[in-house]
Amino acid sequence: MKKMIIGNQAIAYGALAAGVHVVAGYPGTPSSEVLTELLNYAQNNPEAPYVEWSVNEKVAFEIAAGAAWTGKRALAAMKMSGANVAADSILSVAYSGTKGGLVLYIADDPGAEAGMPEQDTRVFALWAGLPVLETSSPEQAYYQCQFAFELSEATELPVILRSVTSVAHAQELIDADFAYQHIDREPLFKRDIFRFTKAGSAICLDQHHSLLARLEKAEKIISRRNINSMVNKENSLFAISAGSLKPYLIESLPPEEGIGVVYLESSYPLDQELIDRVLDQADRIVIFEELEPVVEMLIRSQAGRKGFNGTIIGKMDGVLPRVGRYSKKEIFKGLAALKQESVVEEEGSKEAITVKHPITFCAGCPHRGTYMALNRALKKTKLGKKETIVTGDIGCTILGMNPPFDSCWTEVSMGSSIGLAQGFVSAGVEKPVVATIGDSTFFHAGIPPLINAVQHRANLLLIILDNGWTSMTGFQVNPGTEEQFQNSNTRRVSLDRIVEAMGVDYLKVIHPLEMDEAVDVIKEGLLEKGVRVIISREECAIPRGRREPWQEIYEIDPGKCTFCKSCLRETGCPALSVKAMEDNQVMWIDPELCTGCGLCYTCCRFDAIHSKREVKDV
Amino acid sequence: MFKSIFVTGLGGQGVITFAKLIAGYASDQGLKVSLFNSKGMAQRGGRVTSEIRISSDHNFVYGARLSAGGADILIGMEIGEAVNSLSFLKTGGLVLLINHAFVPTSMILRKETYPSIDQVREVFSQKTDRFFGVAEPKHPYNVFLLGVLGAILESLPEALPGFTCKGLEQTIKLSLKRDLEENLRVFQEGCVYGVQLSGS
Repeated sequence: MKKMIIGNQAIAYGALAAGVHVVAGYPGTPSSEVLTELLNYAQNNPEAPYVEWSVNEKVAFEIAAGAAWTGKRALAAMKMSGANVAADSILSVAYSGTKGGLVLYIADDPGAEAGMPEQDTRVFALWAGLPVLETSSPEQAYYQCQFAFELSEATELPVILRSVTSVAHAQELIDADFAYQHIDREPLFKRDIFRFTKAGSAICLDQHHSLLARLEKAEKIISRRNINSMVNKENSLFAISAGSLKPYLIESLPPEEGIGVVYLESSYPLDQELIDRVLDQADRIVIFEELEPVVEMLIRSQAGRKGFNGTIIGKMDGVLPRVGRYSKKEIFKGLAALKQESVVEEEGSKEAITVKHPITFCAGCPHRGTYMALNRALKKTKLGKKETIVTGDIGCTILGMNPPFDSCWTEVSMGSSIGLAQGFVSAGVEKPVVATIGDSTFFHAGIPPLINAVQHRANLLLIILDNGWTSMTGFQVNPGTEEQFQNSNTRRVSLDRIVEAMGVDYLKVIHPLEMDEAVDVIKEGLLEKGVRVIISREECAIPRGRREPWQEIYEIDPGKCTFCKSCLRETGCPALSVKAMEDNQVMWIDPELCTGCGLCYTCCRFDAIHSKREVKDV
Repeated sequence: MFKSIFVTGLGGQGVITFAKLIAGYASDQGLKVSLFNSKGMAQRGGRVTSEIRISSDHNFVYGARLSAGGADILIGMEIGEAVNSLSFLKTGGLVLLINHAFVPTSMILRKETYPSIDQVREVFSQKTDRFFGVAEPKHPYNVFLLGVLGAILESLPEALPGFTCKGLEQTIKLSLKRDLEENLRVFQEGCVYGVQLSGS
């Protein structure tokens, strides 16, 4: 069957074709669609793997590792920042190895199109000592995922399957059967403390030896299986690409171009046998890889050992950049350097005008209400927005950093808003310090820092913006999602009871669209001492709006609107725009976008904004 | 034949559906197609782009992403985002742009003026004179624009061979389930508009 699918879906189907038994992950762009697709498959097919969105990436990886230790095949999926969260367990499991195939899918984001640091998973792989298989197109990813399971089982090592945004979200027609190839295996875990614990130096040193031996075996398998390919084998000039750049290099090389080419589809361990064949005959080599010079370092080190006298061109000599996504431009530049030609820079066009559409909360987003209420409370208490530190966290809630709210001062990592806030307090900041975090982020990594704040009697106000979904990454279910929207095999976990159980004495629940009450509660929370937690609860407007149409939208009476723009200035709502009348301008609410949240209504001093139902009643 | 199309607009405008229809049509014609949608911030009023690459040679390997100067055709559903995408256009490429502006809040508050379609045409003139502005688009923009594009491509087949209003209409019938009649009517209006536009 032929289907147009994206790289992440191809990886999901590759895992199904490999007979994966257990899959766990945490949402993160650009990796999420692997789990979305598998969860969807599992819910619609009687024979399917066990699939779950875990509370965070560390737990997801541990679930996959546990399953793989019984001999079953398991997959953990996450974005690169998620691998940081899971790092402690990934490194430890690397030293123990695995029994069943254990594949760790990590999506990198050269160009930072989804935000977050431009980190390179391959550097992490060197540290952990894990093989990295690269992806270069959806179709290749489908087969590479299956090979990853094979390689993992043959070496007894977890294998990192790496992609980048340009592959994870690229879409093409793939011919496959898109079905689960179930492998019948009994879960069998034999007690072996020398392998599955770390107690004692002898055990750890032995595991280190095993890890290195397994890596060596991985290299042999990769060489023998011809995972990496070579074109125009006899040459003095060679271009080497790693992973996702393969199709761009092919596209950039005219057919008459006679240079030697190597396409690396595994970047670690380096396919030394193949690279030896290049070093034996080349005078000049150019290496194309996005982000850090990982393959380049490995090749340079091999070249040094062999006494290679030629020239290696890459990032370390400053020719190619370490920052950003590569396109044909970088490839042309590298090829020109290889052939010692001057680079013909493509004529750049001047963008005489540029327009920025800053991202903001969706129309109807409850977070807008929370940050508005916080700002109003800061004004009423005379604490001042400019003087009060508000830490932000990962997810939609961070949009509170943008105008018109200008609330959040920091964004570091999942759950970091609370620890950072305690840091500001410990440093002696006298004004109240506020931390803001979303529900899923709180479950993911906000619980330990809140326990810490309670134990150390920190003076801070934590606002948990609970919209019931993991929205930024595409509205996935999380532990706090309402019972009725949980998956068939999951249940809700009470956020309020967790916070209470931690020993938080000051806990209030507000509804961010009930503006006056929300302002009063936050005002009080700002002035209290100790750990104060306010849960600001209202469902995300997108899943809500998809279930049923909005009943009570608002409109502006053009006769009463004075065009003071207070509504726009305070809400920044995308449903508000300017409408030209015959002799003046007024504000206008787009009925297609309005959800009836009523926040603009609370800003109008001229009674110009009404809910449509109200107007009818009059 | 190897052609690249860059589509740009804002969340909610139907950029992704537009791209899907083009890719679907090309695929139905037996062409090799790749599609890359960048929509991370779509729900939040952010920029949405689609990169479509179409090749008549199934053995030709190419990446899904465009580089600067790589787009044979640039489709804009919003003026500001179109001008932001200028660098993707190939010199002499074809531009089709809807006269629709979404002025960001910050610009309204600072009373800044938003670029007009004529200013944008002026900016694009450094690269191409094949600029088609749709002054009076109909909703839904994506289906209307597809009709306009179909008619333009019938008159300029070298820009993207094999694309016709009749063929695209068939793809809409097969792909869009909701409001099909209404969509087909708007698509037809787009075709008529496109015939006028390419004739003038």
